[in-house]
Amino acid sequence: MPRFWHDLQIGERFTTENRILSEAAILEFAKEFDPQPYHLDRAAARESIFGDLCASGWQVSATVMCLVNQALHSQEVVVVEIAAVPSMRWKAPVFADDSLSAEIELTDLGSSSAPDQPIAVEARVEAYNQHKAVVVTLQIRLLIRQAEGAPEYAA
Amino acid sequence: MQPRPYIRSRWFEDIPIGEFHVFGTHTFSELEIIEFGEKYAPEVHHTDPVAARDTIHHGIIASGWHINAIWMRLMVDYMERFAQGVQDGRRNGAGVGIKDLVWHQPVRPGHTLTFTYEIIEKSDRVVRNKWGMIKSRNEAFNQYNELVMSFTIDILAELNPQNLSGVETEPHV
Repeated sequence: MPRFWHDLQIGERFTTENRILSEAAILEFAKEFDPQPYHLDRAAARESIFGDLCASGWQVSATVMCLVNQALHSQEVVVVEIAAVPSMRWKAPVFADDSLSAEIELTDLGSSSAPDQPIAVEARVEAYNQHKAVVVTLQIRLLIRQAEGAPEYAA
Repeated sequence: MQPRPYIRSRWFEDIPIGEFHVFGTHTFSELEIIEFGEKYAPEVHHTDPVAARDTIHHGIIASGWHINAIWMRLMVDYMERFAQGVQDGRRNGAGVGIKDLVWHQPVRPGHTLTFTYEIIEKSDRVVRNKWGMIKSRNEAFNQYNELVMSFTIDILAELNPQNLSGVETEPHV
């Protein structure tokens, strides 16, 4: 059954699936979007602040948010879209073949202003590698539909 | 005073608050929107131009993370251009965190974004006895001059070693 805004509870938690970032995936993203030595070249990366070849922070964030969307979708939470990211911090580098997963916690359910408008709900996302070290944390704002029959967007 | 043309090779101390850059433009094609969507944001409003008509924005739009990935690419290209010819050309750049990232307007196929940043703050923190922290405000505007994306980012910038003796430092970022 679809879960609308009324069905959500503050403090509710969700866990995502895992996704591995392969060296090939890291290099592919870096060539297109973030061509810096520590994302492209293992030898140069070892001399850098990160210590080894690692994924672009933006690739890590996009991957984690993809997992978050899938987890909410699989729980039938009726997310209209991610509206904003009030804060995000990259805590540790993600190296080739690291496996990412995330925990989501609903921290603020917002309130209804009009019955047909989606509501902004805040959630905290903590993403981990396979060693359970935190790699990125995000505070996100999700738009959630209020009820069956309510339009999913403003007319 | 010596001119300092190499943006990325400057020490923390040499980067002025208020400095403003228009650092790149990018036109989003439908194909690249779909390619990014299939890998990182596989919802129909990023991947299926027909099904997207019945969604919130009535058509296919770029994933927000795609816009930010393009921001990164244009920033790297801009910095590289201004660091060319400098042997130790990388004294700043690694991002630590961002705040207030908002996607204000949809970016549709054919839209052209212009990206800007402004240095807005330099903190007193010293990280690992080597780095200072600089905050910039980043914005992207579409061809109608509407603000479509904005955020602030904290980046590390290397401190001039001449100024470092005896300061208290933080061990971790």
